[in-house]
Amino acid sequence: MLAYFIRRILWFVPVLLVVSAITFVLMHNTPGGPWDRDLEARQVDSNTQELLNEYYGLNKPLWRQYVAYVIGDFDKEGAFVCGILCGNLGPSYRVRGRTVQDILFEPPEGKGFSDSRFGYSARLGLIALAIAIAIGMPVGMMAALGQNTWRDYLGLFIATGGISVPSFVMGIFLIIIFGSWLHLVSIVPRSWDKIDVWILPALVLGFNTTAYTARLTRSSMLEVMRQDYVRTARAKGLAERVVILIHMLKNALIPVVTILGPALAGLVTGSFIIETMFGFPGMGRAYVQAISQRDYSMILGTTIIYAVLVAIANLSVDMVYVFIDPRIKLSD
Amino acid sequence: MTETINTPSQPIVSLNRDISHPGRSLGRDAWARLIRNKASVTGMIIIGLFTLIAIFASVLVPHSPIQIHSGANFLPPAWVEEFNGKTGNPDYLLGTDTLGRDVFSRVLYGARVSMVVGLIPTVIIMVLGTIVGMIAGYFGGRLDNLLMRLTDVVYAFPDLLFFIIVMVSLRDSFIGQMMNGLLLLFMALAIVNWVGVARLVRGQVLSLKEKEFVEAARCIGAKDMHIMFRHILPNSLGPLIVFAAFAIPGAIITEAILGYLGLGLRPATDQAAVFITSWGGLLLEGQTAINAQPYMLLTPAICVALIVLAFTFLGDGLRDALDPRMRGTQ
Amino acid sequence: MRKLFTLLSLLVLASMVLAACGGAAPPATEAPAQPEEPAATEAPAATEAPAATEAPAETETPVLRINIGTYPDIVDPQKSSFVNEIAHLKLIYEGLTTYDETLATVPGAAESWTYNDDATVLTFTLRDGLLYSDGAVLNAERFAYSIKRNIDPATAGEYAQITDEIAGAPEWRGCGEDAAACEAGAATVAESVKASHADGSACADYEDTACNTLTLTLSKPAPYFHTVMGLWVTFPAKQEGIEEGGDNWWNSSKFQIGNGPFVLQSLEPFVRGYFTPNENYWDGVAQVDIEYSYIVDSAVAFEAYKNNEFDIVPSAAEDLATIESDPTLAAEHMVYPGSCTIAIMFHQLKEPFNDKKVREAFAYALDRDAWVTDVDAGLSAPTLTWIPAGYPGYKEGETRWGYDPEAAMQAITESSYGSVAALPPIEVTFGDSPRNRVRHEWLVAKWQEVFGADLKITLNPVESTTYTELTKSIDTSPLMFRLGWCADYPDPQNWLSVYWKTGGFGERIGYSNPAFDELVNAADVELDPTKRAELYQQAQDLFMDDAAVAMMYNTINHYLVKPWVQGIKTTPQDSAWPGDIDPVSITIDSSMIP
Repeated sequence: MLAYFIRRILWFVPVLLVVSAITFVLMHNTPGGPWDRDLEARQVDSNTQELLNEYYGLNKPLWRQYVAYVIGDFDKEGAFVCGILCGNLGPSYRVRGRTVQDILFEPPEGKGFSDSRFGYSARLGLIALAIAIAIGMPVGMMAALGQNTWRDYLGLFIATGGISVPSFVMGIFLIIIFGSWLHLVSIVPRSWDKIDVWILPALVLGFNTTAYTARLTRSSMLEVMRQDYVRTARAKGLAERVVILIHMLKNALIPVVTILGPALAGLVTGSFIIETMFGFPGMGRAYVQAISQRDYSMILGTTIIYAVLVAIANLSVDMVYVFIDPRIKLSD
Repeated sequence: MTETINTPSQPIVSLNRDISHPGRSLGRDAWARLIRNKASVTGMIIIGLFTLIAIFASVLVPHSPIQIHSGANFLPPAWVEEFNGKTGNPDYLLGTDTLGRDVFSRVLYGARVSMVVGLIPTVIIMVLGTIVGMIAGYFGGRLDNLLMRLTDVVYAFPDLLFFIIVMVSLRDSFIGQMMNGLLLLFMALAIVNWVGVARLVRGQVLSLKEKEFVEAARCIGAKDMHIMFRHILPNSLGPLIVFAAFAIPGAIITEAILGYLGLGLRPATDQAAVFITSWGGLLLEGQTAINAQPYMLLTPAICVALIVLAFTFLGDGLRDALDPRMRGTQ
Repeated sequence: MRKLFTLLSLLVLASMVLAACGGAAPPATEAPAQPEEPAATEAPAATEAPAATEAPAETETPVLRINIGTYPDIVDPQKSSFVNEIAHLKLIYEGLTTYDETLATVPGAAESWTYNDDATVLTFTLRDGLLYSDGAVLNAERFAYSIKRNIDPATAGEYAQITDEIAGAPEWRGCGEDAAACEAGAATVAESVKASHADGSACADYEDTACNTLTLTLSKPAPYFHTVMGLWVTFPAKQEGIEEGGDNWWNSSKFQIGNGPFVLQSLEPFVRGYFTPNENYWDGVAQVDIEYSYIVDSAVAFEAYKNNEFDIVPSAAEDLATIESDPTLAAEHMVYPGSCTIAIMFHQLKEPFNDKKVREAFAYALDRDAWVTDVDAGLSAPTLTWIPAGYPGYKEGETRWGYDPEAAMQAITESSYGSVAALPPIEVTFGDSPRNRVRHEWLVAKWQEVFGADLKITLNPVESTTYTELTKSIDTSPLMFRLGWCADYPDPQNWLSVYWKTGGFGERIGYSNPAFDELVNAADVELDPTKRAELYQQAQDLFMDDAAVAMMYNTINHYLVKPWVQGIKTTPQDSAWPGDIDPVSITIDSSMIP
């Protein structure tokens, strides 16, 4: 089994290479470049443009640029500048003077790592996941245990509602309801240090996952409920609560756990709509903005970070799965 | 000892009683179960309704969806007396949008794109994924390994990011121009999502491969293709159909999100064009105008929610119907 | 069941506590439903640790809360170019000149200026006793450094070419790899931008308080150059700050020290920017703190404004109906002319727009008033001129090519095509965005109305950055597209010469008129203001005659401003919020805040 996991980890490398290569080709194929800006502003004149291209090596052949990005290249003075292999995700073409890893992982002065853009996104994703678990699981269980009663229908309603409403619609509704009508939260948080301003964005972000968790918990609880060993437990005369907690829950949770890993990765990546609506200083919109700004390094850097996150999430889910369910034998 | 034989009081007329029952295929069985499920019937009705709307939109709309009515923008729905200084006009059932176009007509046309976006990529995904999954699962070995590594790569790609970059980079190319940009959207959706189907099918094939009936078929001398498509595939249909039923609403929502980002359908100027607007695009327009005319946002949002709900109910119903063990569990 | 709920709730709490612990503050106690009091008083914290409750400040400085929109990419005077970035710079710094409400150039950091006889040498005299916000001396040497930094090719500033009138600037900027040329260029510029004492002797260093004269040598007569010197590219950033702070110097309040009305206290990316009054500002101390927020979504910003969380927000066209039907909001809505003209550009070298009559026809067919009502909801002003109202050089009473459907059809028959049906297919290109879609769908529909069903016209939306790239060169420039120009500085030279002279921005659509060039060349160097204005007027008339483009509308500045914000002075040239021309005069009447 150890061999299996080592092999899986080793596979990260070629997978990431392919992912980065595809992204690289696609984005350089897109017309326009980092110096083409919004037409309201005066455009960069050709002299300056040439200067900038020269400085960043954008006039070199594509294959060379790609190699430079991944492995490294010699700059004008002849010094070797390392690429991704050394953790250097490249210079940002938009925010000149800063590197991508700097922008995403460096916190502002005087603050800790969790205040970097990545840190903010990760925290928001975690809270959204916690909400998804805290609301989704009980709702699913309640629905399963009270099947075909009002509890079941309510649970199903929440679950399907959460899937079918896109986050930006949910977001504006919640802002209006809780901000403008009920005055429970401030619409524009001035500071993200207090926990109360995190709740609304996390709720909007996690609503989708909550719905999936609820559905999955419900269906797996229902499946478990019919099993023979549950009937045996009841026949033995155990209290209902014991039956539920010890026998049903453990087994019902197995499928749910499998979605949590990818869900977390998805939550961290999916925050850009939330960020735009709430002014949240995360890294989600870095990607979307970078594409329209043609900030090549930022595009590549964020894609790779996300791919790594997704791969790690999938792998950890598989690992947890093995430990939870003794029946599972991992085969490739 | 002599045995006493009980003579029956009545003579047995015949021992050949026809106790056979007309054979019912899995399909008929499943259909019967499906009909009994009220939720899935509701779902089917809603889907049917929207399909009809999508097909006959050009006949059903009271106004042209791209007709601009000067000076009549942001009108509230017909039943609203007064809102923001404007009164509802019975001519425009759900009011008008930024340029004075009828919201109701636009929503009806939007159904077209959404239904198409839901169905076509899903069909492509199912076909592609099934083929790959079957080949990988059945033949195993190095072919399997290769194909699974391929799926790993696609799997590692963060979905939305891939959509965005594909849409942006190929938007202005030849492919991106076809069908108002829909073809590109289909391709992007298909490329990312076929992986799940492939894995699912592969898993099914792996477990069914060792079953007796397959062995029996091989003994008889059936060819591989025959075994794959006549024996294994029908038995794995259950989870596949359920997957499809959930993939469709997923595609519709993705189009909505891409529309929100401005990467969806291209706007049409020609009254005779088939695809004019999509619910995603309407959601985007509605979100900025939420204070001016909330029904611009509410209507497409409700429609999207309804269609997703319908497909979900249908998917649930199908799962119950196709898997008798689950009867009563959903 | 209950145990499970408790367990899970604990899980949620735990994760939230963990997450909140990532920030500097300890987590708030269980009170997520606490309504936020509007920040009537707020103590600007030196570090980022917020108080759990609003601690009263030593002096109660009211805060002016403004929504700027996008977070700036870079706030560096010699590298910034976007409106939101300039909005930050204008608070922190001040240039040699500035302008007043009538857009006339008035003294800023410089007390006065003179040109020599043929306007090739411009000499500024700085005010006495100018200081940076940290008390350091601000002298002419500082300005010389900044101007040179702007031209320096190593800076690669995106607006560097705007000071190209300085002798040696284009050569230095274009020196490329040629080390000798670069050295020579640098040397020439060093000679052209000279700080000195009043008597002409060289300045000692940055502390030299007698160093109050800045002499600029220009490569050709440019009597408008004192206006250009008020732009942000000359703002005196401190050399030590830049060098010590490295590439990220501008983010830190330690290194970004300026001479403007405000001091940068903190810049929290995407969250807020905070500015406090500069005690050392020569024109008085501001009476409010300023807080910038970066909410991009206009619907959310509007909700926040209604909820009293913002004092100033730009209003959106979609919300206009709501604003106008609500008497309170309508009274708070500030509308005044803007600085941009938008026109429909025609590619002068491609069919059918190489035919002047066709261009006239499309200009005649443009119902500008309907556009303003339908599309912009009244938030723009129709125009038939290139230079907008309120700007020097504006021509009142222009009537050429106004909306006239009959004249449009007439022009088509007079053109080389003879009829609408004979026109080749026309493609309108634009950068895809929801607003633009609406705009162009309207345009096409209207043209179809005027010209009838025979008109073959289609829409071609492309991704925004792609669109920018297409419009940059004459080969790829679209056949017909909507484009605007916003004034960099209020002078006809910026509108006419910079844009429409052969080789200027008009080159991308192939516009070139030698007679026009002659007129503006003469006007550019004319010292007599009356004659100058006259020449520009003639040039403009000539340009209008050519019907090169179809003028459409001028932008309008429209903001919602809370009634307790007083003392706002507006100009069409405002960057990102009303009143940034003179923020010192702004006060907040705290008694009016609910």
